[in-house]
Amino acid sequence: MTWWKRHSDQLEDEIQTHIDIETQENIEAGMSPEEARHAALRKFGNVLVAKDKSRDIWGWVWLERLWQDVRYALRGFRKSPGFTAVALLSLMLGIGASIALFSVVYGVLIAPYPYAKPNEIWAPAVLGPNDPVRFWHQYPLSEMVEIEKLPAFADVMATIPKSVVLTGGTNPEGFYGVYLTGGAFNFIGVKPLIGRTIQPFDIHPGGEPDAVVVLTYQFWQRFFSGDVHAIGKKITLNDVPYTVIGVMPPRFGWWTNEAFWLPLPMNLADDTPVNVIMRLRPGITKEVAEQQLNQLNVRLAAEHPQQFPKGQLRTVLLNYMDITSASGEMSSSLHLLFAAVGLLLLIACVNVANLQLARTTTRAREIAMRLAIGAGRGRLVRQLLTESVMLSVLGGVLGVLFAVAATRIIVLLIPPDYVPNESRITVNGYVLLFSLTVSMLTGILFGLAPALRSSRPDLVETLKDGGNGATGSGRAQAMRSWLVVAEISLSVLLLAGASLAIRSFAQLMHTDPGFQPERVLRMGITLPPKQYTTFEQRNLFDQNLLEIIMSIPGVQAAAIGNGGMPYSGWESSYSLEGRKPLSDDQKLVVSLVSSKYSQTMGIPLKRGREFTEAEIENVAHVALINESAARLWPAGVDPIGRHLQLDVLEKPLKPPVLMPSGNNSDLVIVGVIGDTKNGGLADATRPAVYLPYTMIAPPDRQIAVRTAGQPLAILNVVREKVRELDKDTALGRPVTLDEVLGEEAQQPRFNMALFSGFAVLGLTLAAIGIYSVISYNVTQRVHEIGVRMALGAKRSDILRLVLLMVARVAGLGLVIGLCGSILLERIVRFQIFAKTSFDFVSLAAVVLALSAVALLAGWMPAFRAGNLDPVTALRHET
Amino acid sequence: MTTRASDDQLELLQGTLDLLILQTLAFGHAHGHAIAKSIERRSEEVLQVGHGSLYPALQRLMKHGLIAAEDGISENNRKARFYRLTVKGRKKLFHETSRWQRFSDAIARILTPPVQEGE
Repeated sequence: MTWWKRHSDQLEDEIQTHIDIETQENIEAGMSPEEARHAALRKFGNVLVAKDKSRDIWGWVWLERLWQDVRYALRGFRKSPGFTAVALLSLMLGIGASIALFSVVYGVLIAPYPYAKPNEIWAPAVLGPNDPVRFWHQYPLSEMVEIEKLPAFADVMATIPKSVVLTGGTNPEGFYGVYLTGGAFNFIGVKPLIGRTIQPFDIHPGGEPDAVVVLTYQFWQRFFSGDVHAIGKKITLNDVPYTVIGVMPPRFGWWTNEAFWLPLPMNLADDTPVNVIMRLRPGITKEVAEQQLNQLNVRLAAEHPQQFPKGQLRTVLLNYMDITSASGEMSSSLHLLFAAVGLLLLIACVNVANLQLARTTTRAREIAMRLAIGAGRGRLVRQLLTESVMLSVLGGVLGVLFAVAATRIIVLLIPPDYVPNESRITVNGYVLLFSLTVSMLTGILFGLAPALRSSRPDLVETLKDGGNGATGSGRAQAMRSWLVVAEISLSVLLLAGASLAIRSFAQLMHTDPGFQPERVLRMGITLPPKQYTTFEQRNLFDQNLLEIIMSIPGVQAAAIGNGGMPYSGWESSYSLEGRKPLSDDQKLVVSLVSSKYSQTMGIPLKRGREFTEAEIENVAHVALINESAARLWPAGVDPIGRHLQLDVLEKPLKPPVLMPSGNNSDLVIVGVIGDTKNGGLADATRPAVYLPYTMIAPPDRQIAVRTAGQPLAILNVVREKVRELDKDTALGRPVTLDEVLGEEAQQPRFNMALFSGFAVLGLTLAAIGIYSVISYNVTQRVHEIGVRMALGAKRSDILRLVLLMVARVAGLGLVIGLCGSILLERIVRFQIFAKTSFDFVSLAAVVLALSAVALLAGWMPAFRAGNLDPVTALRHET
Repeated sequence: MTTRASDDQLELLQGTLDLLILQTLAFGHAHGHAIAKSIERRSEEVLQVGHGSLYPALQRLMKHGLIAAEDGISENNRKARFYRLTVKGRKKLFHETSRWQRFSDAIARILTPPVQEGE
């Protein structure tokens, strides 16, 4: 800077000399000294401009100027702290909210996976002529081999999770091991953390795989404490020792993030369906691939009609990202909120533009003065732009801080099963780039309009009038008011969304599940399939186990079985008294239960009786139904003693599920129990039938234990008893039914928290909007208010004047917002708030909240207007 | 106002001003006021320079290394900044002059009424 200072002084001297010489010459030519100096100055022109331009030549000037502008801007901010604080708050909230939500959207929807080209992975769906729903179609291995032969596909792989028991440690433990075809890891394209992944050569040409296993990061940490020497060690899975060949990085969770991956035996005779995905050959379009696959499907459907929908088949390839990246509900909430947040950001910009405009108007005299003394228009615009960009960058920095906090909170709130387990939601580089762009654009966007406007005022008018005549044109004024109306409408929308979310959450919390979840512990129990190979062996073991558990002190009741604890179960077509129901789609939920099931779950018996111990033991063909199922019979018909046939009992299920041969599907109904929310709290009760659990014997069953005291307290005793009975039997993770119900509420709670948060944000921004526009109006009408007061208007009259302005804007926004919400509710309700609709109370709450905020925001400028001293107001020159 | 040129005066193109300065300095060193006077005189005051606009031009030429400046004493005993051509400046002047010559020859040919042939 010293070089520059010297240079600058030199230039000044030089110009001075120039003028002096010219003056001297003029005097010599006969002018008076005063006249001579005047003529010299006139001849030279604008000294400041000459100096300015000379300095420009040296290029640094922009930096110097920037620094000057920055200092000037900072001084300006300090001088009007109210304006600065409100503008920064607005920007911080707008930018922060959009960064936070973008982080979530990026982590969950845009880049949820670490896989190679995840958006080029396709999953097949097969549809019948009238199927609107797209299910991922599963194929047995023999058919997958056929798909591999199709020329359209470059790579095909299959995944199937199976329950696997880990033994050899202190407690046997059940896992879902994920079986993969040999090329699967290469298909996914993620490198292992240590060791190697499963390769095609791990599966012999005969289809028999080597006993090798790749561990998840979590499993490795848990069982090997992250020791690199884990490679080559052995773990016992289903009684077979497997060699550990690799460990995957923490952010890899193909179908599991707590267990392990195993090579899938390529036994083509095994018709267990597997989950097939594929990548297309380069240059092949999705349509061509669909066509080829459809031809194959038609052929396969002719061979195995029961595996395909009836009628003409259509084949569709589903993008793996679309079907897995976030469950439907989460995805639609996120999209909706992302749109809302974009609008919030826009609102924040509009607010700041309004504030800036109000401020430049009050600065009109300063600006006119600077123009008059020769400031270039471009220079002035640049300075005003610098101010707004600085404001927005400061706002951006605050926004990032706010976003980091908000993202943490959102991550805490996100229910774990609703986003892919590989999603990493953080404020990352892309997000920062996004936010930087957003804040810069914001600055330019909201800085440009006021800057351009203020750089072309009528100089003379403004200087003469002292600023108070410079009311914006009627159109600009109306525009600003409309923007605020839009802001208010949007916050009404968000508020309405929040009220719906709160209501649907509250409704869910008050839903009677139909059973009593308190003090009930549920855990899975897995028998090693190699040891319990027959139907009778399994039933005997489980019967013994149940007896032992019931004898534990503190246990009130216990039940064992599959399904109905409280959800899931098989679905089966059925016949009543040998007659099929009218529609093929009608199914019954089938649960397998023991005799104390309804006591354990706390479900009331409505009619008839429960199963007897003898019926369970002898696998009697008896059934309990719920009330919904009882209504399948015509009104007035008592279903007790009637007959029911279940298709699921007709043909034997596949191993490892065991059923006695020669099963018959006919059941006699012995009792009716109360309805439970067997499809989830938010869904309607489905008709259900309960059978003695001994009728079908899978290796996995579930135990429910109702205790007198704290349910987890008996856990250790249960573990001990199980180990005494058979040390290789694995107990799954224990959960209480309260926890199970709690999981149901997670998504609604997330929606509620998110919508409420954004509604509060929207309200705050709308309040700032109302405040900025009303104060702008008041500032511009100070002169008018002074006249009114001078003519005898009282303070209350002025207050009323201003508050009326607020009421007009807020009222209009409210009406539009409400109409919009009702419209939007029609559109959105099927997606997010399936079971709720607006009622008087929630709408009234929205109206109240908004009115209160509008009044609060309008009060300050109104108060200021009311307290104006008429004399000052008339002389108003600020 | 300097920007308000009267009708019979031409506003100088930036390049022309630069060339005129170089041309002025070809006869020896001079300070700002002298350069301004000289340009005024030699263009017979048709091309009248707003004296202020001379200085940005001088700075520009200095930045490109075509002229150099040093402190000195003017004819009437004043401290002044004197400018002179550098070697690079002299080359530039030669180059530009010949280019200018070619250009003005071309213009002259265009503006001269063509000789009617075949009459």
